[in-house]
Amino acid sequence: MSRVTDPVLLEVIRYRLESIVEEMQWSLIRGSFSPVVKEALDASCSLFDADGTVIAQSRSNPSHLGSLVFSVRSILAQYPVSSMEAGDVFIMNDPYLGGTHLPDIALVMPLVVDGRVVAMSASMAHQVDVGGIMAGSVPTHATEIFHEGLRLPALRLAHRGVIDDGLLRLIRQNVRMPDTLQGDLNAQLAAGKIALRRLAETGARYGWPQLGALFTELLDRSEAMTRKALAALPAGTYHYVDYLDNDGIDLDRRIRIEVAVTLDGQGNVAFDFQGTSAQVRGPLNIVPSGVHSAAFYGVRAITDPAIPTNGGCFRPVTVKLPPRSLVNPDAPAPVNGRTPVMKRIASCIVGALAQVLPERFPAASAASVLVLAFGGEWPKDAQAGTHAPSRRFVVTDLINGGSGAALGHDGIDGIATDMTNGMSLTAEVLELEAPIRLLRCAIRADSGGTGAFRGGCGLEREYLVLHGPVSISHRGERHYARAPGLAGGGDGALATSEILRVDGRIETVPSKGMLVLQAGDRLRVFTPGGGGYGPVAERTPEAIAEDLRSGKVTAGMD
Amino acid sequence: MSRPAPVPGHAPGGTPAAKGQAVVGIDIGGTFTDLVCVLADGTLRLAKLRSTPSNPARAVLDAVNHLREAWGVDPASIGRFVHGTTVATNAVIERKGARIGFIASEGFRDLLEIGRGNRREIYDTVLKPQAPVFLAPRHLRRDVPARLDARGSVVQPLDEAALLAAVDELVALDVRAIAIVFLFSFLDPAQERRARELILQKHPQLAVSLSSEVDPAFREYERACVTAFDAYVKPVLDQYLSRMEKGLAEAGVPARLQIMQSRGGVSSAGVARAQPVRLFLSGPAAGAIGGAMTGRAVGRHDLISVDIGGTSCDIALAADGVPLLRSEGSIEGHPVRVAMVDVNAIGAGGGSLAWLDGAGTLRVGPHSAGADPGPACYARGGTEPTVTDASLALGWLDPANFAGGTVALDVDCARAAIRERIALPLGLDIERAALGIHRVVNAQMAEGIRLASIHRGIDPRGFSLVALGGGGGLHACALAEELDIAEVLVPRHPGVLSAIGLLAAPVEHEALVACARPIDGADAADILSRLATLDEACAAAMREEGHAAAYGQHAAAGEGARMAIRHLADVCFIGQSSHVSVPLASGDPSTMLAQLYEDFLAAHERIYGHSSREPARIVNLRSVHGIASGYAHAAATLPGPASDAGAALPARRRAIWLPGAAEPVEARIIDREGLAAGECFDGPALVEQVDTTTLVPSGWTGEVAPGGELVLTRRPR
Repeated sequence: MSRVTDPVLLEVIRYRLESIVEEMQWSLIRGSFSPVVKEALDASCSLFDADGTVIAQSRSNPSHLGSLVFSVRSILAQYPVSSMEAGDVFIMNDPYLGGTHLPDIALVMPLVVDGRVVAMSASMAHQVDVGGIMAGSVPTHATEIFHEGLRLPALRLAHRGVIDDGLLRLIRQNVRMPDTLQGDLNAQLAAGKIALRRLAETGARYGWPQLGALFTELLDRSEAMTRKALAALPAGTYHYVDYLDNDGIDLDRRIRIEVAVTLDGQGNVAFDFQGTSAQVRGPLNIVPSGVHSAAFYGVRAITDPAIPTNGGCFRPVTVKLPPRSLVNPDAPAPVNGRTPVMKRIASCIVGALAQVLPERFPAASAASVLVLAFGGEWPKDAQAGTHAPSRRFVVTDLINGGSGAALGHDGIDGIATDMTNGMSLTAEVLELEAPIRLLRCAIRADSGGTGAFRGGCGLEREYLVLHGPVSISHRGERHYARAPGLAGGGDGALATSEILRVDGRIETVPSKGMLVLQAGDRLRVFTPGGGGYGPVAERTPEAIAEDLRSGKVTAGMD
Repeated sequence: MSRPAPVPGHAPGGTPAAKGQAVVGIDIGGTFTDLVCVLADGTLRLAKLRSTPSNPARAVLDAVNHLREAWGVDPASIGRFVHGTTVATNAVIERKGARIGFIASEGFRDLLEIGRGNRREIYDTVLKPQAPVFLAPRHLRRDVPARLDARGSVVQPLDEAALLAAVDELVALDVRAIAIVFLFSFLDPAQERRARELILQKHPQLAVSLSSEVDPAFREYERACVTAFDAYVKPVLDQYLSRMEKGLAEAGVPARLQIMQSRGGVSSAGVARAQPVRLFLSGPAAGAIGGAMTGRAVGRHDLISVDIGGTSCDIALAADGVPLLRSEGSIEGHPVRVAMVDVNAIGAGGGSLAWLDGAGTLRVGPHSAGADPGPACYARGGTEPTVTDASLALGWLDPANFAGGTVALDVDCARAAIRERIALPLGLDIERAALGIHRVVNAQMAEGIRLASIHRGIDPRGFSLVALGGGGGLHACALAEELDIAEVLVPRHPGVLSAIGLLAAPVEHEALVACARPIDGADAADILSRLATLDEACAAAMREEGHAAAYGQHAAAGEGARMAIRHLADVCFIGQSSHVSVPLASGDPSTMLAQLYEDFLAAHERIYGHSSREPARIVNLRSVHGIASGYAHAAATLPGPASDAGAALPARRRAIWLPGAAEPVEARIIDREGLAAGECFDGPALVEQVDTTTLVPSGWTGEVAPGGELVLTRRPR
């Protein structure tokens, strides 16, 4: 073990760095305009060392875990640190150059001390719209990235503190809600400035040569602890296969995700995605940054949560991505629908380990979040008038399924699991933001997988369109593949969604689609349940009685 | 047990009640009840009595007996009787609230269980319930037709038969209280009120909480939580306060019982029991008031108080001498959207355990040694070192004189634990390991203070740090150095400061109404008329507790002179969902809204670091009526220094270890009881008193203020 550095000062500096990223994150979320950032915390903040390694990351949505790593790498490739100056701001979002999907815009700002870059602050926020063929910029029917919005390679947004007005005008010209986007960029800029100021103060106190050495030591120690935790897991290769419904284009073709997790007993872990489907026509392809985020999540979930999260945790990780596959597509394949894929990859990684450690890990969760993006216009005369700055509205709702049961624990109904941690909209916010009424929001009975411990139930939600047309991007999962139980537990229920037309017709939504509803039409969604744990015959009579009393299980169910 | 601690002198802040009356504050904790009394002549008396948690009437009787027997206070002369209570909080923590029924708009029965769908621990794979389901499990929840739309128009009229059928079922299941949450009820409470009327007609024994009264603001999940919490604790609080009132009546005390609310103002027990969810931070609120009072006593108005106990460190801020509030807090992670003092708890205190992680880095907390076995130095079997063990190993605590000698500390046990678990593995000597433990826990506390300040747009450097609790005095100067704060204040009685704070708090009522509209184009007359309605609600509460004289034509005299009416608007940019509370200057309607917009921009810039002239909207309007306590400064005046001040200081010294020193240094040991006003001393020194020990490091100077507060100042380097 290295004894070069003071183990006390190290911990003092770690608290300082974590306090800085939390302050960034707080400032960004409170100051932003985008509902997905405000309500779903779809944003993240990190500090990087001058080499582009994460030294601290805010506690945000895990889908952002390490997500800035590839963006920073891409910016450094275009603008080496030697070319950076104080007051510079770099921007990018292109998934094929290290981004995630186009709505996530990354801003990176260097801290320059004595003419040398000593650290960087970076933030990423899900913008409400970045153009493309559909409001919200996550079109389920995209077949190439050009449909998905404005692509920004690594660019210098500000030079020596002066914003590039031309670039800003170009961006504004290509998005549907330029003021909102600029408001969110301002929040990102403010967050970055705060971080640089605090870092500079820290450097002034402890000296940059010493701080640099401490950063290195923090990374080395997290790496060592991660390796130790990985080495304690049973060595071997564990396979897991699960299926996504379809890519939104070829509706009859399910998508296979296969992962082989290899623990070498020496503290290394490899994730090999050989066997995963080839890249698809629809937007479910996922670029390597997203696969890595899922792998990083997997590593954090299977090691000790007390290990400080930084780039050191990810050094023992190897990810093998077959070329031209779902998880490593070639441009210009569309990639906006990454979230369900990333969630399922994380779920597969945990699932692979649950096969050998069933007492420690749960049955499969629904591992999907139904994303509904509503777009349209308020009527001229009937605008609620309290919220929307313009007549056009774009609102996104996130609806979770049930979590998997584990030894000793029933699953939780309708809860964010694995890579996402978003908050659903409340009925009152939805109705203030859009001419849509939520009629029902309930726990879906009989949807949790049976077992000695029952899987969490899915939810049901019903929306009534008050003023049409409203376009709805419907991105569901588990309409065709159930969340499997573990150790003899039953599978969770499938998801279903249907449109109830005002004239009485009922249309089933096939997992993904672009829907158009008129006034009086209703959309009713049922999200999937989590897998059960252990044989149902071993469920206690008390637990069965409580299931029936609560109505989460009805007597009619076997 | 009783330990009277008379303090001679008089209160300079004016008489708190009518002439010749005594004023009493009583803070009931799990083990001890702190009792403070200002006698008719202004003398302050303090005592610690054993608590009788199961019998509040008995606690009152014990207190009144003590007042009479030890201090000669005639119960009939008690003019105010103020109480800070943890009953509401404990009912939640111990799951001992009432069985309640929850009734929502049709389709929203599961509102309380589904929550918002997010989780608190993001890397946990095995999840736990994230919403407060325990308040009303599913079989105790119902939904009935009744809802409004976003403009407040009725979409579904209340189905009265369905409501009564649902309530009958719930009554058959033995519920004692009902929480009602209809969608958009904050825009028009008529449906919820009608529901209550129907329920009480048929089941007058039920307690009913309406979301439109508890928290009339948008977002139904958050409103449902606070309303259900209110119903859950209502029967418990009602019974508790009734018993206490009975105890007062039996003891012959004419004063009405007053209760400290979470927001730092007191109200009558009658008003408090109508909305007990406003009492969750009753105890800490009194502490925050006490901290602010300590500052005011020495002319400081920008304060950060740090209350360090065994398991936690509570941080509260005061600006302009008033504790900062927040409009939403939480209990056990669940949102509780009522105004409360902004107390930020960090899981770090004297009992926090020090340990080495897998890479050999020194970590402190979040686990604590708790009461059993306690720190290693308690010699009750604890082998893991705590922060308190480190303090003892460094010589900062006197093993024979801890907590007034009531707890004997074993230095060898403390040193052995530090040696085995920390010092040997790290290759350090015991003292350096102990200093490391303090440095790490201080880093946590300092970053916590920094984040708490920053969240309020405050730069801590201009503030004074107030050390509270048993541990505050040992950490305060180190925290101040870390935060670049130049001054630390230690109140005369940090251990009973909450009880003293009860006496200094204003009588206060807040009323709130949702008022969603853009500032641009809002009608000032309409805003003023809504504020007038809120003012009437506050005034009604004041009248209810006997403060009618503060209003009306003779108000300028007496209580009216201490009355302050504040109007606030919660404002955000259009499209944003988190708001800022901005004072609303309602004097001139023609400029009111323009001024509000400018003030909002300035507040946004201060808190978030940016603002732009984008359109903004009002979310809520608030009115706060407060009658300041006449008891502005509870501490009495100490005698002046003896003619030869130097000789008055005891000559005791002890070798202690301080950060950065290669050798132990000789610190002066000062008995707080023996300090006279105006006395000064330089660090290194330890000031010992029954309820705390204050470490004054090298480079710091202490001075005793006239009221007995210690003012510690860092000497310029």
